[in-house]
Amino acid sequence: MRFSYQWLCELVEGTHPDPVELGRVITMKTAECEGVNVFAPHLARVAVARVLSVDPIAGTHNRKVDVDAGVYGRRTVVCGATNCRAGMTTIYVPPGTTLGVLAIETAEINGVRSDGMLASGQELGINRDHSGILDLDGQSFGLKPDWTIEIDNKSLTHRPDLWGHHGMAREVAAITGLKLLDPVQMNLIPARSEPSPIAVAIEDYTLCPRYSALLFENVTIQPSPLWLQYRLEAIGLNPINNIVDVTNYVMAELAQPMHAFDAEKLRGHTIYARPGQAGERVLALNGEWYDVGPFNVVIADDAGPIAIGGVIGGGESAIGEETTRIVLESANFQASSIRRTSSILKLRTDASMRFEKAQDPVNTLRGLARAVELLRLVSPGIRIVGGLADAWQPKPAPAPIRLPLDWLDRKLGRATPAAEARSILESLQFGVAEAGPGVFSVSVPTWRATKDVSMKDDLVEEVGRMIGYDTIAPQAPLVATTPPPANEERAFHHRVRETMVQQGFTEVYNYSFVSEDEIAVFGFDSADHLRLGNPIVADQQLMRSSLLPGILRNIRHNSKHLDAFRFFEIGREIHSSADGLPNEIPHLTAAIFTRETAGTQLFELKRVAECLVGDAAVEPVEGGSYEHPARAGVVRAGGRDIGRLFEFHPSLVEGGRAAVLDLDLRALESAQPNERRYKALRRYPASAFDLSVLAGARDLAGLIQARLAELAGSDLLSIEFLRQYEGSPLPEGKKSVSYRLTVADPGRTLSSDEVAAVRARIIEGMRGLGYELRV
Amino acid sequence: MLEQQIDGVRRRALERIQSAANADELEAARVEALGRKGFLSNASKEFGKLAPEERARAGKLLNEAKQAIETALEDRRARFDRDTLKAKLESEWIDLTLPAPGIRPGSLHPVTQVQTEIEELFISMGFTVLDGPEVETEYHNFDALNIPANHPARDTQDTFWLTNGLLLRTHTSPVQVRGMQKLGPPLRMIAPGRVFRNEEVDASHEHTFYQLEGMMIDRDVSVAHLIYFMMTLLSSIFRREVTVRLRPGFFPFVEPGFELDIQCLICGGPGCPVCKQSGWVELLPCGLVHPNVLRMSGIDPEEWNGFAFGLGLTRLAMMRYGIDDIRLLASGDLRFLNQF
Ligand SMILES: [Zn+2]
Repeated sequence: MRFSYQWLCELVEGTHPDPVELGRVITMKTAECEGVNVFAPHLARVAVARVLSVDPIAGTHNRKVDVDAGVYGRRTVVCGATNCRAGMTTIYVPPGTTLGVLAIETAEINGVRSDGMLASGQELGINRDHSGILDLDGQSFGLKPDWTIEIDNKSLTHRPDLWGHHGMAREVAAITGLKLLDPVQMNLIPARSEPSPIAVAIEDYTLCPRYSALLFENVTIQPSPLWLQYRLEAIGLNPINNIVDVTNYVMAELAQPMHAFDAEKLRGHTIYARPGQAGERVLALNGEWYDVGPFNVVIADDAGPIAIGGVIGGGESAIGEETTRIVLESANFQASSIRRTSSILKLRTDASMRFEKAQDPVNTLRGLARAVELLRLVSPGIRIVGGLADAWQPKPAPAPIRLPLDWLDRKLGRATPAAEARSILESLQFGVAEAGPGVFSVSVPTWRATKDVSMKDDLVEEVGRMIGYDTIAPQAPLVATTPPPANEERAFHHRVRETMVQQGFTEVYNYSFVSEDEIAVFGFDSADHLRLGNPIVADQQLMRSSLLPGILRNIRHNSKHLDAFRFFEIGREIHSSADGLPNEIPHLTAAIFTRETAGTQLFELKRVAECLVGDAAVEPVEGGSYEHPARAGVVRAGGRDIGRLFEFHPSLVEGGRAAVLDLDLRALESAQPNERRYKALRRYPASAFDLSVLAGARDLAGLIQARLAELAGSDLLSIEFLRQYEGSPLPEGKKSVSYRLTVADPGRTLSSDEVAAVRARIIEGMRGLGYELRV
Repeated sequence: MLEQQIDGVRRRALERIQSAANADELEAARVEALGRKGFLSNASKEFGKLAPEERARAGKLLNEAKQAIETALEDRRARFDRDTLKAKLESEWIDLTLPAPGIRPGSLHPVTQVQTEIEELFISMGFTVLDGPEVETEYHNFDALNIPANHPARDTQDTFWLTNGLLLRTHTSPVQVRGMQKLGPPLRMIAPGRVFRNEEVDASHEHTFYQLEGMMIDRDVSVAHLIYFMMTLLSSIFRREVTVRLRPGFFPFVEPGFELDIQCLICGGPGCPVCKQSGWVELLPCGLVHPNVLRMSGIDPEEWNGFAFGLGLTRLAMMRYGIDDIRLLASGDLRFLNQF
């Protein structure tokens, strides 16, 4: 929302802070000011000029014009405007002036020395007229440079009153201690006793709490005076004609959107405010057709819709050059219905933006009164016909808010003297009465009562922002020293992260979105994925049910730049569930990429798995579609499956091989040994011997080791893998796997005969199982 | 006579020991002086010829000579050992400027680092750390935070909707609601996490980013307490005093609501592109928890109240490390991530 500094100053009596300072204090006490900019600075240099003579310049459309430019004296300029004629008054722009991006300098044009220029309304920033030079046509010209104060709309969401200059002026008055002026003269509204020539029928007072209207006749449609056009132009509204400009002016001043219908185009004498009917269409002022329905408020006459209430006027009832009688609407609409309408119709207007903030129904008459005054200025001879049409079922005023001052002090964390609190509230036009010792009874002005202020907490803000939050000293609270409940899961994730980093892995974050193409690579079914209804780009519309697509993308990206790398992500798999929220399963997914093909990456990841949980073991399985068929396994620990270790199918990764460890973090966490108990140190020496088992080349070493350990039984202290060997002199398809077994008895030293017996037992047992032993 | 001979032998032996260049020469010197056929072994045989008082003196002299020679031998031998060891070790020289083999630690994501620091700070002040789902219900993300359907505040949070009616949380604030429902008052909690906004991505906008929500519910929690925690948080993050300003800000789930700005750390106040020439950077929306929010979570606002804040972790990490393109954070590019 853009505010005009001149406009605000006009509504506040006294010496005003300069525009930049005003922007600052508004930011600190009311709403965020995003910028203060000078508007039309050139107006400080231009002068009213009377055209003395206009002479054609041979061979061009331009003419040589002599003007009497007031303080600048007689000047000669070259001018191409067709409306330039001797005797007219216009605006002279001297050399050295900048109009927007255009720098005006003395120049030789068509052989004539042109000393400045005559400017159009558009060039001067007064309106959008560029058809000729500005014709003052008897009007005086007192326009001066203005400043615009840009306020972030987001910070006005809760303040319907701040969508007009008068509301902001009220804030300025409260901040500066100056007096707020009211531009509205309510006595301009015809007396209630006079009957209105139009009837208003509101069908649903919830959707349309109030509809007020006046009928005017003897209307002249013409451009507005320059001062009014300039006001609208400064705040970014487009001057159109005197009637439309007045409705926009009142909206910008009082936050009351208005609309003028051509009274001749209305059918019947009743205006209906009712929910739209299925199948109804409205031709709007912007030339578009809109389908309306029961969720919209439609303004209609006897024949059908003439406007979409609170959003946009209708094309068929619009005023035009020929209009002589108008119905001026000043109404109030339900905020949520307007917002819904405007978002369904994808039509945001200056009116809908205001109504969706919950405007004050009391304001409709203030708007009409202000409009009456302005219409008399811009359309001389205009007359009100009959009385006021006004449908309204006023709601009872909300009860005053009880505000205990000690409570206020406790909320703010500093004491505010009662007199100061009262003066702040009163400067914002709240009513303050004593409800008892140290308790105020505060009545809320109607423009703050629609949604914004309804309870004492709201008053904390009013007092707090005006005393200034910078006057509140930081203070540590006095609270019980109870330890906070621990978040074991998060602490575990942090430990996992630390382990991964120590093992050389760098953490990546990937998006939660995946594309159909990406999951197709993995053979995942898109039907198993949660789907976005409104993705930003169509190929990012599924929620990831695995971290792998992102990890593969990372591998492919980084392998373009690096020969070897390792990284991990901790993130959530999102699985749809039949009812309620989806299952979000935290996963650790780690990858190692190198140029090697021998599978070292897998063993490195297996080692990392053991760093994460001591008893991690891998059970080989046949690889799935995206896995290397012969290099995949299920990771088990603590008696459960915790994830998967595999090499990506080499066809998916170029220039090297990438292995992945993908662990379910909840499973990993529950696989952690939960208790550690000390075991007495062994007091008797142990004995060790080595055994080499000859096995099939694809017999699992892990299985051989398990068999050996089983056969060693309770005598076994430890078993250690020594080496594996394939090749000569072993027969083709065979390998030898060697282990060192350490045996001991906790209570005594085993004799060499006893050790030999254990060894013999194992050898015999293994042979019984079909293994050959190389002894 | 004998005494002079002992003396001479001693002197000569010591000289030979001193001049011995290796173990063999040293051994030869030992044999000559102390060997069975050596002079000193035989000298005692001469003692019988001596008078008793001379015998005693010569005996003493002989012992002294033997001892001196043995000590000299020992010293010399020790020196040979030392020299041998020294030469051996000298030959074991290695070039310590060669690179050390093995894996180097990787890096935690910059957002993780900032997040962990803040978690630790708040845990030390008695806050618990809560997690919530990334896929949320409309109720928890909006309604329970006093943002009913068709509230204009919903416009400011472009929402990703799932086809099943759920949504991706637009802020970490729903964890407030879950925290209040689960733990009840009094309560001190933070909730860091991933949030989503349906926004076009460019150098300063992302559809996925990280926030840290904080909340304290107790009796008589004040704006002064809120300011205390915010100042503690900021000086801990930036490791220096930062200039802040607290100004009104509108968020439906707090009343009053604030925007906490810090003075621009890049330009220090006069204005620069980072702070859009304002000298201030918006960092921490916060406020006292709205009574409706408390009520909806079953907490009596007459008895309890509190504050809440939301910290943009992503923006904070960018400020901390001078990252000028938000897209790098989710790029998975290790050339970027390995720098942290
Ligand atoms: Zn700056």
